[in-house]
Amino acid sequence: MKSALLRGVLIAATVIAGVATTASSAFADNERFVFVSHAPDSDSWWNVIKNALKNAEHDEGVKVEYRNPPTGDIADMARIIQQATASNPNGIVTTIADFDVLQSAIQGAVAKGIPVITVNSGTAEQSKKLGALMHIGQPEYDAGKGAGERAKAAGVTHFLCVNHYITNAASVERCQGYADGLGVKLGDQMLDSGLDPTEVYNKVKAFLASHPDTNGILALGPNSADPTIKYLRDTGSASKFKSVISFDLDGDISKAIKDGIVSAAIDQQPYLQGYLPIVFLTQYVRYGVIPSNNVNTGPGFVTKDNIAMVEKLAGEYR
Amino acid sequence: MTEQTNSGSMQPPIVDVIDERLNRQSWFRRMLSRPDLGAFAGAVLVFVFFAFTAGGTGMFAADGVMNWLTVTAQLMIIGTGAALLMIGGEFDLSVGSMIGFAGMVIAIPTIYFHVPVGVSVILAFVMAMAIGALNGYIIVRTRLPSFIVTLASLYILRGLTIALSIVFTNRTIVSGLKQYSNESFVASLFAAKLFPGFFQWLADNGIINRLPNGAPAVSGLPMLLVWAVVIAVIAHVVLMKTRVGNWIFASGGDANAARNVGVPVSAIKISLFMVTAFCATVFAACQVFEFGSAASDRGLLKEFEAIIAAVIGGCLLTGGYGSVVGACLGALIFGVVQMGILFTGAPSDWFQVFLGAMLLIAVLFNSSIRRRVTGER
Amino acid sequence: MTTAMRTASPEDVTWPQGWGRPLIEVRELTKHFGPVVALSGVSMTVRAGEVHCLLGDNGAGKSTMIKTLSGVYRPTGGDFVVDGTPVTFSSPREALDAGIATVFQDLAMIPLLSITRNFFMGREPVRRFGPLSFMDMAFANRIAREEMRRIGIDVRDPEQAVGTLSGGERQCVAIARAVYFGAKVLILDEPTSALGVAQTSMVLKFIRQVRQKGLGVIFITHNVRHAYAVGDRFTILNRGRTLGTFAKAEIGLEELQTKMAGDKELQDLSEELGGTV
Repeated sequence: MKSALLRGVLIAATVIAGVATTASSAFADNERFVFVSHAPDSDSWWNVIKNALKNAEHDEGVKVEYRNPPTGDIADMARIIQQATASNPNGIVTTIADFDVLQSAIQGAVAKGIPVITVNSGTAEQSKKLGALMHIGQPEYDAGKGAGERAKAAGVTHFLCVNHYITNAASVERCQGYADGLGVKLGDQMLDSGLDPTEVYNKVKAFLASHPDTNGILALGPNSADPTIKYLRDTGSASKFKSVISFDLDGDISKAIKDGIVSAAIDQQPYLQGYLPIVFLTQYVRYGVIPSNNVNTGPGFVTKDNIAMVEKLAGEYR
Repeated sequence: MTEQTNSGSMQPPIVDVIDERLNRQSWFRRMLSRPDLGAFAGAVLVFVFFAFTAGGTGMFAADGVMNWLTVTAQLMIIGTGAALLMIGGEFDLSVGSMIGFAGMVIAIPTIYFHVPVGVSVILAFVMAMAIGALNGYIIVRTRLPSFIVTLASLYILRGLTIALSIVFTNRTIVSGLKQYSNESFVASLFAAKLFPGFFQWLADNGIINRLPNGAPAVSGLPMLLVWAVVIAVIAHVVLMKTRVGNWIFASGGDANAARNVGVPVSAIKISLFMVTAFCATVFAACQVFEFGSAASDRGLLKEFEAIIAAVIGGCLLTGGYGSVVGACLGALIFGVVQMGILFTGAPSDWFQVFLGAMLLIAVLFNSSIRRRVTGER
Repeated sequence: MTTAMRTASPEDVTWPQGWGRPLIEVRELTKHFGPVVALSGVSMTVRAGEVHCLLGDNGAGKSTMIKTLSGVYRPTGGDFVVDGTPVTFSSPREALDAGIATVFQDLAMIPLLSITRNFFMGREPVRRFGPLSFMDMAFANRIAREEMRRIGIDVRDPEQAVGTLSGGERQCVAIARAVYFGAKVLILDEPTSALGVAQTSMVLKFIRQVRQKGLGVIFITHNVRHAYAVGDRFTILNRGRTLGTFAKAEIGLEELQTKMAGDKELQDLSEELGGTV
């Protein structure tokens, strides 16, 4: 009985060892890249990126390992970057979830001569400071500006920026970019809405009552967009607004796009944040060529015209 | 009257020859019945496994070794505390939350109220240990299971950390500690890298690998490792060589029996909770000063890693049995497996499955050996 | 109550020289738990160098009595005199310090711990190095092994777990520990109740050996045969009261059995079953 247990343990160990060795030897001849994200296991948004990595792996004939701290602890993420560095990959792709925490780990990889591309969170300046080759992401200011330019084309003159996360500096940049794209001053047109849906609803209501000229709305994400959409539906006042734009997509927002209440949703196109760095790193490692600029994967816009395709691929490639 | 040396007629004669034979036998038995033997065997198994599967991946180069040693050291710090407490018959599930809390107590006063960094660190130790003492006091007084009481503090502390950091700073990640702590003695106490010259020498002589710019791949011995070893050694000596150690075993083995012979069980248990809080704060301080930032979600689930390390190391979940050496080996197994799987390049979706399976194998191996040698059923 | 109250005087027993001094005197001790009266007047005297058996059926108040003597409970009323001084213990530790050591039925032994660590639990020998004090393991191991050998238990290794010893051996370790630490009175709570024949005789032999050293032993049991084998005097407890104390010379096994049964019918039943109860 006891020896059966022991034998079982040994067999299991052999099986796992076998799987692990096949996994590591299957791609032994190709370039190996490590993609490190900051997302906990439970974050489904990253599935799009994982699929992008698989496609890139297949298209380029390379091996990509996706790594993340299971609980989303950024300190653990730093250890994973250190581990990736120690395993001497051909390149590392990482997010800059927390510049201070990841600084020494990323610089360590760069110092070891490993090409690094940063994606998603973080700014181009931070990326440069770390010594990365480039940053691939959606700059907040530019995304807001793109939305502002769209709104201007639609004829918006006065706007409301619903900010549910005002303590985050990036969120203010989105509103500022929108104002600049529109060519007006931000002034008091940014609303600190808080996170509570009822609170957002009532604050939007109060703002619009006291600013009757308002004809454009920017919501910084589902948290601020959903109650705003509800308000527009409840009051039937959607037609009064020439442009209603939201960051990101969820069920309410895509339905509102189809119903014509929301004109567009800003999409940072995460697929590209997974696919492009692998393509670039492969070319860089093989031929020493790489674009000299940062890549903005967003803002892409989801409108009535392409919502069908986006919905079909949602969670997979969009 | 304690030594009855003159009632020889009733005693069997003490024969030295027999004594020696018994001694030899008992040495062998003693080696086999050590609680950490299974963990030792498990650690060997794990190293053999990775020598085959990850031998050429850089896992055993200097920076690779430092990588898993760092993870091991982190876990050793909290695993040692967890092991002592578990031997004393209790659990502390609030360790992870305590790490986040202590980190914030160090960072917020320093950055936002310009308190000297040393004062913040002392404040963190005092507050954490006070909370630990409160945990222990509630458990000793109410006789509620520590599992429930510390589960409550897990939530309370995590919530408190988030709420207070929002109140004081309006954010949950507090960065920028480096400009306050740079060059300070306290920061180097927790995050310095020792003996850079020695590591440079090692690199120059080709003993460890070098970076393209000539710097060694490992720039020094992190204080984290020093803390881990110092805490483990002190804990081991206290447990095995002092009367307090005997009281810890007794409190966990049978608190009533221990009380009956005058062991201060309540005081022991309360101080053990303070020890786990101390260990969590050391963990937090090393992390905060290494990275220069604190976040309210730091340390998530670390309480389980600490308990896993202690259990792999041969501590019984029911208390009264275990060792610090075992817990350190448990931390080593966990650290090596955790990082080693990444080195093998196993597919990430399966990562946790591999991790769980490796742990189960280690524990099964460990306990089957222990059963075999101690004759437990 | 059919038996007249009487107490055997010390003169009824032949004492070795210098022994016979009263160590514990208890007079009309009572203990209430709220409305429940557990002891309603217990009197007994334990002298140096005697094995004093406390006999009684289940529920007679034996456990309450022991716990009161050993400092776990505080008596509600009555006198408790140790070595001529009235005492009130507030913890087992205080009783222990006054020389009253109790070996509880559930054993004050921790199976997972080594013999040495159990033996010295709560009274660890320490050695100082400046401000630090360490447990003197070499000394502790040596003493533990010597004491075990004295009882006749051959421990291969004093660091082996107590769980590896037999029940009788564990009882003996617990008794040896109390003796080693200078107990004057030893309270043994049902030490033989869970043991086989061979192990019982081992424990009884050891109890007699302890008595030889001049300790007072209170031996609690409901097994009259075991009591009669080692006892010098017998106090019978029934429904929270003492029915009297008898010297071995003045009472036979049968009579003791009868008195302890305390009830005519049970006595008849006992005879029917051939005196095996």
